Amino acid sequence: MPLVKNAVIAAAGLGSRLGHGKPKCLVEVAGKPILEWQLRLLDDVEDIRIVVGYMEQDVVRLALSLRPDVVIVRNPAFRSTTTQQSYWLGGRYLKDPCVYMDGDIIFDPASFHAFLDRAGKVCPLIAIAASKTEQAVFAETIQDGNGDFKVSAFSRSNKTPWEWANIACLPAGMLQENGGDVFSRLAGFTPLNAQCVECFEFDTDADLVQAEKFGQKIRSQS
Amino acid sequence: MKDTAYCFDLDGTVTRDELLPVIASEVGLAEEIGFLTRLTIQGQIPFEMSFRLRCRLLSEIPVATVAKIVDQVPLDEEIAGFIRNDPERCFIITGNLDVWIEKIAAKLGCGVFSSTAERRADGRLGPLKNILRKSHAIRELRSKFDRLVCIGEGFNDMPMFEEADVRIAYGGVHPPAQALVEISDYIIGNGSALCRLLKTL
Repeated sequence: MPLVKNAVIAAAGLGSRLGHGKPKCLVEVAGKPILEWQLRLLDDVEDIRIVVGYMEQDVVRLALSLRPDVVIVRNPAFRSTTTQQSYWLGGRYLKDPCVYMDGDIIFDPASFHAFLDRAGKVCPLIAIAASKTEQAVFAETIQDGNGDFKVSAFSRSNKTPWEWANIACLPAGMLQENGGDVFSRLAGFTPLNAQCVECFEFDTDADLVQAEKFGQKIRSQS
Repeated sequence: MKDTAYCFDLDGTVTRDELLPVIASEVGLAEEIGFLTRLTIQGQIPFEMSFRLRCRLLSEIPVATVAKIVDQVPLDEEIAGFIRNDPERCFIITGNLDVWIEKIAAKLGCGVFSSTAERRADGRLGPLKNILRKSHAIRELRSKFDRLVCIGEGFNDMPMFEEADVRIAYGGVHPPAQALVEISDYIIGNGSALCRLLKTL
């Protein structure tokens, strides 16, 4: 059982850049909606909160059918707020560390579980992945003697081998209500311990083609 | 002032069935009560008039008979347990009648705001004394608690939600009314998730 007991999935966004007319968490990759891939990874996490907004009825129906004990958190202002606001709403009132993740990412299960295990011992902990998405937020990293990474800065323009993977385990009180981008908030706490994960986030159809291949690979391994 | 009060709707939230349809079915008035319920949900008749008519239909049934039927409706044991553990801060806020739900109230041991009616000497239902407006109950609690957390599932919970600080639409028995969902902070699908959420608030 992972030591981290809480997870928040931000699934409120429009997914407008992808243009499939549905929230990205409902887009199917390798035969399953992203939300289903994510909930399977969180089977052993006790308290899961899914923040909903765009087409909330569809997301709620799927979420409760997959896992009846999730807590659905509403973000009615999803059109005008950032992911940080969804995270803040999802983690509001929690006193223990919580894993925050975007609802539009597909993860390699082994690296995701390695992240969860380490997050139970090291918090805050953020995830980085090999740079590959079209609209990456790059992470500047330093590596200590044990080979562990720390992120020292984030940048949209200064290309590095690593990108912010939109998943972090954070203690209570670190996120800001009505704040800006999550990475901008995290930048105020650098250097941050980081863990490499293998994952795929998609913002465009080109990303989705690659995510599909990634999903097929994971499915064939499981 | 105490910190937080937890205000629970009764029918379809703490009870695992809606009480009025169960009562109606047991006494052979399912069709008549069902018709009135549908008209109320569709907004064809106001809740208060509908409630008066439904009580009128049931007025010939001895109060003890109705109370016994109500007593057999199962409770969500996790939610009931939460209430029994914290009776000073938990409240039932229901439009149902005090004389029908008194056994459930005794089992839960918490404060109850309900509609009230007289009991006639022959044991049948007397005139209604008061039809509860949930917003009135909430305002009364507001003077004693800093924060009000409300849990409900139906249209008649809307006045309560409009005055609450934290609103939880509960779907453990049937999906919550969409209009209620739209003014909620949380949506919950079962009693276990509800209690877990309440413990973190």
